[in-house]
Amino acid sequence: MSGDAQARTAAGERGERLAALLARIALSDQRAFADLYRLASPHLYAVAIRIVRDGALAEEMLQEAFVSVWHHAGTYDAAKSQPITWLTSIVRNRCLDWLRRREIDTDPLPTNDDGAPAWEPPSDGPSPVDLLIAAADAQALRGCVDLLESGPRQAIALAFFQGLSHRELASHLREPLGTVKSWIRRGLATLRRCLDAAGSAQ
Amino acid sequence: MNLSRPDRRERLDRLAAEFALGTSPPRVRRRLATVARRDRVVAGALSEWERRIAVLADRIPATTPPPRVWRNIEMRLGLEPDRVPAREAGWLRRIAFWRALSIASLIGVVVLGVAEWRRAPVVVPAPLVVVLSGADAKVGLIATATRGERYLTLKTVGNAAPGQDKAFELWALPQAGPPQPLGVVPQGSVVRVPLKNPVDETLSNIPTLAISVEPPGGSPTGKPTGPVVYSGAVERMY
Repeated sequence: MSGDAQARTAAGERGERLAALLARIALSDQRAFADLYRLASPHLYAVAIRIVRDGALAEEMLQEAFVSVWHHAGTYDAAKSQPITWLTSIVRNRCLDWLRRREIDTDPLPTNDDGAPAWEPPSDGPSPVDLLIAAADAQALRGCVDLLESGPRQAIALAFFQGLSHRELASHLREPLGTVKSWIRRGLATLRRCLDAAGSAQ
Repeated sequence: MNLSRPDRRERLDRLAAEFALGTSPPRVRRRLATVARRDRVVAGALSEWERRIAVLADRIPATTPPPRVWRNIEMRLGLEPDRVPAREAGWLRRIAFWRALSIASLIGVVVLGVAEWRRAPVVVPAPLVVVLSGADAKVGLIATATRGERYLTLKTVGNAAPGQDKAFELWALPQAGPPQPLGVVPQGSVVRVPLKNPVDETLSNIPTLAISVEPPGGSPTGKPTGPVVYSGAVERMY
């Protein structure tokens, strides 16, 4: 069995396990909830930290997400999405809602004296673009990310992994808002075609 | 605008993609989330894109969250703690459950309070509030105090009563260690429980108060002897 196939099987087993746990959580099974937390929280916490860029805040987002999972596990539909996708969306949406609430009517990202962005992606881990490429490797989707030009690729990676909005992307990449918006639009359309084609080929 | 109409599918698809990626402006984000709750076509478009986008998150290196995150989740949901010392398990479990319930009740009280405050021009807030509720989530008593005072004021809500030839006794539950008796609650709808020291000193390390049912003079042993009927988190507004 190839490495990719092995990884897919492992992911499939994990998915089945998580789906079974969600079904039990919908029946208020506390042990299943604790198991789900042990299995999924390291991934979800990492997702939250990258987006909100603050450990304490990421903890809060994770807490809220799991409280929501406890109450809404019954709405998970295994026919529609993988459990980890469902869980990741809950965490991402919590984080993004928080970021966007903060962003309303506030200044753009802080900058240093020289006009460079005052924050940088975490230096102790892979950059957003590295992660995008790694994700493509993991899914045997190298071609999809390669199809993206460097502008759209960077914009999508920053938006996805660090939760930057259109406005923040424009300021961070020092490009006009319109350019960034069209990069995102084109990049997403490209990814969609490629991801859907790869999904149906499997 | 009806995004479900076939001629608007392309626009819906683009909005859903930007929602899933997270770049939508706040107003668009809120509106899409609201519409998705009642419109299955919109909800479907969002979850399609969330599925596509989520594969990108697969290779983020996992990071184990600190243990307090799980403890807080358990507390907020009133779940039974995974591991508690056997001797205290029953007591702590009940408290964790009730603590979560009383936080929920407190939020209700605060919301009601805000509604009330809008009507009434002047309100003197009590800096320290404990909403004591029972296993059925019903509020039994509300304790309030002002910093520096040497008493707690207790108001009975509804028909909470200790029963004939019984008394309520108030306890402070520290983070660790046995409950500390604060005193017997006198009969009456609004009463005071006197304290030896100022309330902020007495309760400085106390996250929770509880009420048990005891003989008229209070617990003969210095520990709760009857059932713990109400408990609540100490909420400080300072």
